[in-house]
Amino acid sequence: MSRANGKSYKYYVLGFYVILFSAWQLLYTFGAIPEYLFPSPLQVARRLAELGTEGLLWPSIKATLVRMVIGFAVAAVIGLFIGLLMGTSRIVNSCLKSLFLGLQTLPTAAWVPVSLLLFGLKDEGIYFVILMSSMPAVAIATSDGILQIPPIYIRAAKTLGTSRLAMPFTVILPAALPSIVMGLKLGWTLGWHGAVSAELIKSSVGLGFLLSMGRELNDASQVIGIMVVTILVGLLLDRFVFGLIETRIRRKWGLDQDQDK
Amino acid sequence: MDSEKADTPEQSKSGPQVMLRLTNVSKTFLSATQTVDALQATNLEILEGEFAVFFGPSGCGKSTLLNLIAGFEKPTTGEILLAGEPVAKPGPDRLMMFQEHALFPWLNVIDNVMYGLKRHGKFRFKPKMRAQKARELLRMVHLEEFEKASIHELSGGMKQRAALARALAPDPKVLLIDEPFPGLDALVRAKLYAELQEILITTHKTILSVTHDPSEAACLGDRVFVFTGRPGRVKAEIRVDLPRPRDMSDPKLAEFSGRIMSELEEGAKS
Repeated sequence: MSRANGKSYKYYVLGFYVILFSAWQLLYTFGAIPEYLFPSPLQVARRLAELGTEGLLWPSIKATLVRMVIGFAVAAVIGLFIGLLMGTSRIVNSCLKSLFLGLQTLPTAAWVPVSLLLFGLKDEGIYFVILMSSMPAVAIATSDGILQIPPIYIRAAKTLGTSRLAMPFTVILPAALPSIVMGLKLGWTLGWHGAVSAELIKSSVGLGFLLSMGRELNDASQVIGIMVVTILVGLLLDRFVFGLIETRIRRKWGLDQDQDK
Repeated sequence: MDSEKADTPEQSKSGPQVMLRLTNVSKTFLSATQTVDALQATNLEILEGEFAVFFGPSGCGKSTLLNLIAGFEKPTTGEILLAGEPVAKPGPDRLMMFQEHALFPWLNVIDNVMYGLKRHGKFRFKPKMRAQKARELLRMVHLEEFEKASIHELSGGMKQRAALARALAPDPKVLLIDEPFPGLDALVRAKLYAELQEILITTHKTILSVTHDPSEAACLGDRVFVFTGRPGRVKAEIRVDLPRPRDMSDPKLAEFSGRIMSELEEGAKS
């Protein structure tokens, strides 16, 4: 990845966004886009500030995040467990691999109608959508990571006297960790998609709810603003939670250096 | 599985005891198209505190034999006894060191050394003693300053030394080494040979190693078993009665390495 040279391009990236937002603002100023179709960046910012002072924005971010943390935690535990079974048993892997790959190609929003049928408008339905959106990614990454473990680690663990019970916790899962973290990261992103999709229809609080409320009020500024907020919160978590964990593991394992052997 | 308790009838006799006894051990691999006699019936005894070297070209059954002793493979015929007990599955009483260091990258150096101590044995529930034992071993392989280092930060030779410390930690009855220190340059290897012999002198470990380098065999082995291939079998046994520590540049050592090599070549002709 280009993280190593990220610093030297920092100003280009900054410049890019300045140009992007100025272009957006200019198009609006010169009347190239009608106001009711697409708001200006300033209008979006103003609307977001309003939502903030009305006490709608922050509780919504919090509600979506709390749902995500709970739903994703459950998805991660189940995904890890199923991934472990898939990675250690050929039978389980051949049965479940195609199913989970299939589930992963399903757009996360496609789980919303099912959850409406199963749970009605209850909050559980949102957790269900998060679970089904992120769990397959975690399971597949875990099993792929396990299947790629060099056999020599397993042999070394056996000769060092590792019991069958200790093997998953002391060797198999740790050895698959780089892949597992990638799966968790992807699972979080997919769960985030699922959560916002589910909130569009099912909730009275949350970022998805603010999006659909904006549409009902014909308030393009709110719709665009909440989209920006959703992107920013998602990016922030991706960078500062999963990104940092990933960097730490890669550094500890020496995966970012050239192998000098 | 305490090493102290594993008394055998042999231990009441005087002199070094038989640590490992192989009776009629053979291994045949069956595949869909052919059967391969990897190892013909082999009988040998390794004494306690002895350094035995299995020497031969690749495909001569020497690594197969090591895997049988480690318990990674089951013999087709015959029996392997460790201090009188039959060998079943892999375990730390016959700890194997691999060609690649096989250190766990998710653990730092000292956690790698403590890994085996955590799994079983007298240190299992004693974290302080565990750390103490690990530090002692790291001192022995001159890595005491690197206990918190990540594996990838070590050089090739340091990795092998850390692997050696990890292998010695559970106090195995027999240490099995599959090609000690491959892929390292001659200088690093010479140093590691010296260290390994030092450890041998202080711990009196029974060690079995596999190599295709005759000078390495002569430098490390008390007894060198020369293997020939297709089918794999032990062709000759050479006793290297040179005092330790041995120096790679010793002309006497070169003489032994020549003898080992000529045994092999004779085998190839017949």
